[in-house]
Amino acid sequence: MSGSKSDILWSPHHPDRYVICDSELGLYRIGPAGCAELKAGTVPLSGETAATLLAINSDTPYMKCVAWYPKQEPECLLAVGQANGRVVLTSLGQSHNSACKELVGKEFVPKHARQCNTLAWNPVDSNLLAAGLDKHRADFSVLIWDISSKFSPEASVSAEKIRLSSSDLDPSLVVTKPLYDLGQNDACLSLCWLLRDPKLLLAGMHRNLAVFDLRNTSQKTFVNTKAIQGVTVDPHFPDRVASFFEGQVAIWDLRKFEKPVLTLTEQPKPLTKVAWCPTRTGLLATLTRDSNIIRLYDMQHTPTPIGDETEPTIIERSVQPCDGLIGTFAWHPSRQNRMVVVSATNRAMTDFTVFERISLAWSATTSLMWACGRHLYECAEDGPEGAQGLLEQDIATKMRQRAQSRYGHDTVQVWRNHLLAGGNDSQLKSLWFDLFYMKQCAEDAELKLQGNKQAIVYSGIKNIVKTSSGTTESRKCWSGSERQTEATRFHSEERGLALRLCGWMGRASDVDVEPFLRSLEQEREWERAAAVALFNLDIRRAIQILNRGAMAEKGDLNLNVVAMALSGYTDEKASLWREMCSSLRLQLNNPYLCVMFAFLTSEPGAYDGVLYESSVAVRDRVAFASMFLNDAQLPRYVDKLTNEMKEAGNLEGILLTGLTKDGVDLMESYVDRTGDVQTASFCMLKGSPGEVLKDPRVQCWIENYRNLLDAWRFWHKRAEFDIHRGKLDPTSKPLAQVFVSCNFCGKSISYSCAAMPHQGRGFSQYGVSGSPTKSKVTSCPGCRKPLPRCALCLMNMGTPVSSCAGTGKSDDKVDLTRENKLAQFNNWFTWCHNCRHGGHAGHMLSWFRDHTECPVSACTCRCMQLDTTGNLEPLDSS
Amino acid sequence: MFVARSIAADHKDLIHDVSYDFHGRRMATCSSDQSVKVWDKSENGEWHCTASWKTHSGSVWRVTWAHPEFGQVLASCSFDRTAAVWEEIVGESNDKQRGQSHWIKRTTLVDSRTSVTDVKFAPKHMGLMLTTCSADGVVRIYEAPDVMNLSQWSLQHEISCKLSCSCISWNPSSSRAHPPMFAVGSDDGNVTYGGKVQIYEYNENTRKYAKAETLATITDAVHDTAFAPNLGRSFHVLAIATKDVRIFKLVPLRKESTSTGPTKFEVQIVAQFDNHNSQVWRVSWNITSTLLASSGDDGCVRLWKANYMDNWKCTGILKGDGSPLTGSSGQPTVMRTVVGSSAQASQNALNGISAGRYFFPPLDPPRAATGHGHLLPPPSLIEHCDVEHNQPQQQSVSCRLSSRSLVSLSESDGQ
Repeated sequence: MSGSKSDILWSPHHPDRYVICDSELGLYRIGPAGCAELKAGTVPLSGETAATLLAINSDTPYMKCVAWYPKQEPECLLAVGQANGRVVLTSLGQSHNSACKELVGKEFVPKHARQCNTLAWNPVDSNLLAAGLDKHRADFSVLIWDISSKFSPEASVSAEKIRLSSSDLDPSLVVTKPLYDLGQNDACLSLCWLLRDPKLLLAGMHRNLAVFDLRNTSQKTFVNTKAIQGVTVDPHFPDRVASFFEGQVAIWDLRKFEKPVLTLTEQPKPLTKVAWCPTRTGLLATLTRDSNIIRLYDMQHTPTPIGDETEPTIIERSVQPCDGLIGTFAWHPSRQNRMVVVSATNRAMTDFTVFERISLAWSATTSLMWACGRHLYECAEDGPEGAQGLLEQDIATKMRQRAQSRYGHDTVQVWRNHLLAGGNDSQLKSLWFDLFYMKQCAEDAELKLQGNKQAIVYSGIKNIVKTSSGTTESRKCWSGSERQTEATRFHSEERGLALRLCGWMGRASDVDVEPFLRSLEQEREWERAAAVALFNLDIRRAIQILNRGAMAEKGDLNLNVVAMALSGYTDEKASLWREMCSSLRLQLNNPYLCVMFAFLTSEPGAYDGVLYESSVAVRDRVAFASMFLNDAQLPRYVDKLTNEMKEAGNLEGILLTGLTKDGVDLMESYVDRTGDVQTASFCMLKGSPGEVLKDPRVQCWIENYRNLLDAWRFWHKRAEFDIHRGKLDPTSKPLAQVFVSCNFCGKSISYSCAAMPHQGRGFSQYGVSGSPTKSKVTSCPGCRKPLPRCALCLMNMGTPVSSCAGTGKSDDKVDLTRENKLAQFNNWFTWCHNCRHGGHAGHMLSWFRDHTECPVSACTCRCMQLDTTGNLEPLDSS
Repeated sequence: MFVARSIAADHKDLIHDVSYDFHGRRMATCSSDQSVKVWDKSENGEWHCTASWKTHSGSVWRVTWAHPEFGQVLASCSFDRTAAVWEEIVGESNDKQRGQSHWIKRTTLVDSRTSVTDVKFAPKHMGLMLTTCSADGVVRIYEAPDVMNLSQWSLQHEISCKLSCSCISWNPSSSRAHPPMFAVGSDDGNVTYGGKVQIYEYNENTRKYAKAETLATITDAVHDTAFAPNLGRSFHVLAIATKDVRIFKLVPLRKESTSTGPTKFEVQIVAQFDNHNSQVWRVSWNITSTLLASSGDDGCVRLWKANYMDNWKCTGILKGDGSPLTGSSGQPTVMRTVVGSSAQASQNALNGISAGRYFFPPLDPPRAATGHGHLLPPPSLIEHCDVEHNQPQQQSVSCRLSSRSLVSLSESDGQ
């Protein structure tokens, strides 16, 4: 292949070797691209593979086409067709094999010199090599050479002639007499041997496709067509052949050779190569000139014709193996869908695999299944036992874990819920502490019989400060000194409540911040504690805290420095201290240290440095604001902060909004952001002011959360959640689902009547109450007829099962052990909805442990298998 | 970390679809070999094929499960121009003991004149409804009026989409505020035909489905589309597999109570990734719609995740074909996985841009006007994960090593 046009041939026997031929032949080996292996002559082909140049052969000039000998031995034998029509056998690398030595260098010379267009080895009778040549008057254009034939003396005359041009050739290696000559007075552009019979040769002649039979060379079957280039037979379907002309590919069925079965959509540019994929049925790859894509036609879905119309369908795909224009490509003979591509311009090679469409699906439990080709792969997120704890998990995994740790169910120590959630989410921590303080305040308000206050606790600080009235101002002294502070502190009942909700003030005293400071110290939040102490105008305490922080184990010694700086506080406006502090504070990393100096250096009433320091917790900023902002500034600030929180969906903002419509808005943007309907549901259930729960959004979160639990088969958790919800929202309780009615009178047999006789009106009507009823549960309370019998013990239903005495009193339910629970259930009514047979639940369960069919004679109902979902075990059974 | 293992599928030809049931305990696969297989997960997590039967006389494109409250019901659709509904029955023989289940065909839906390309059950709150779409561009919605009798399905709606349909997806939201809605994608490659994803919404007054939106920016062939599980969010998220992965946000504009027309949406494109090189075949959401998986021509499965700032990032790449070694050994193999790729993080840090996030004004005219197949944002905007697929091997190593330090990174920018 002279000049620009190049070609690739895979070795028929070595899956890692191929030859690239353009002006010379280059043999390459593909190997893994390891950094260590990188040496000269190795070119990377893809991320994983690289090619090593093994040998170069430039002995044969004017190459037009190449074909690789198909047999195992000699392995590296290639036939090269030249521009003058000669076919030369050559080899790459050392060949020690004598058979090979004999063959290499052999030349097959046509009578008249013209271009050799194509070569094809017979796949079975590998001695036969077909060559397709250009037209030369009435000469033959398809010559089939026998490579094992020796120098033929009859042809010595022509051999003499040839000697003129190539004098250095060994005459014994020149063969001039082909075994067969076909296609007289025609040109041959492409050739391939047919797989169904090795004696058949398909040739793309000038304006027709012809099938030659070597057993009878005088005849040929042919069809007139323009599509005569690049004939190639489908390796998986020996009667299917593709050929092309300009931009059009024709697919032929040799059994119905009159016209193409299929012509593929025409490409604007002429095609250069068409190749069937050897590893998959019906996949044809085509390449056009000056193109950077390879087009794939997937014909495997063509079904057997239904009725009269055949509907050949092709899925067309295009792949782009490399960036530049593609010169040529070749499918790997055995690796699935793999090919090597050579770029047109710089001979850069790319190893490329065409992938099948991968279909994929997520399961409810965060595992991903995908199908690639004929294989399935499942992929699951590793359990928490891996080094997973640190990596941010998906919210679905988190919610599953939290559901299992009973997150949200702690209704007494509400703040503990954040620990159940894993304890590493600051927003959740803040949320549950907010809810905890709200609950505490509400309880206190209840104790003090202040009903109106209880409602306002849950309406958030935003609403609390709005109602603020009777604010008093006070200018306090710095504690431990006589100097008066410039900061004005405001007091009111509502502000006090706000401070409590922020957690600064405990429930015991309304003024003392000391318990809070001590708890902060315990938590080793030194900076925060110091800041809180400072805001309570106790510099000495703040310094003391910082000292303690510096001294503590693994404490930050820099805190001492800060304490020193703090002790130098002066309220003189023009002091150096003030100047330096206000500029240097911005370089402090800890936001609390930063706001401490901001507070000390700011003008009274203008505390923006503290209020808008976004890394300081919302609760601290709000507490600060409710101490130092006046009645006009405070609501404005709180409003602004609320909107900010709502926008960001920051759960810290629940402190401000409370569980109101604002709170739902905030939660909505939190859910929008995270999808954490679990927290949203539990949070909204905590407050118990009814109107929030009626919000359709809240209902929607709750429904979605229940649906999630169902999908995870956390049915017990779902049921617990429903119980929890039912306590706070009685409207959510479902109505009774099943009633058992008496066969005779049709009245409902209400089993609970036995335990609570005062509720069963039917009982009192008949004048039975108290102990006599208990013994009579085997009969209908309405008409006194006996209830049906258990299919196993043949006792009337309602009879206590022997192992358990009585139906139990209602107060037993308080301390039910697992055993007890089961025993209670054992004498329940159960029946199969299909065959209508039934009995005591305990008996039925034990029966179906060993049997599949109904215990009633001659009933073949498979009662227990009817419901597939019913057979699934809940995942969270405790 | 995600660990992948291979399952012997034993299909004789390409598998076209995989589908989990509601609980993730059962799975159905369908293939070009014209069969459907049902798989059950045992207690130890192994998958066992419990049924395999020939369903159609052509390639089976898709298979899907009905909600379990309707029983164990499957629907499949095929090149043979039909869709079929299958139900598991408790057989007379001892199938259960042998671990085999028995499925019978309840109905064949033969209305389509061309290949039925997708089949989906509507969300369960709408009742037992089945939707098909076909290559002739018709979406059909069937309803089983009696859930006890799955052999009767009535064709309720026939909606012509004008373009050859390839995929359909229902909006799973069960909120009453959202009327039933589905998206149809077309695999028609002609870019001049305009938007290839159409969104239809049910109108309570006319009792018909009407087109609510056409995503005009998607002009290339669409291979898959998936609505994210809504989970109580105030907007809908739609992932689309076309020549790239795209994630759209549909924010319903608050309707005035008087207007009766279809809901108006504010359509935002949230992310667009061309890491799959050319075509993207499938997209799938996890149950909380926080993880998106996509597969494409590069033979990889990619996982996408949004951080708290709504920035979508590639958090994992899995080789789709398994390594050549897996098939022979059958051992579970750790796939090359990149979780929270470090190269990417560092690159983002270098560029100082928030990657993968681009908001376009809704119905952006200049983008639509370019009309060409190359509707990518300017290169500077595209998140370049290229680093990974250039040297995936090295990277995976580095990622495992550096995963700890990574965490702090990703979390800090999540705040």
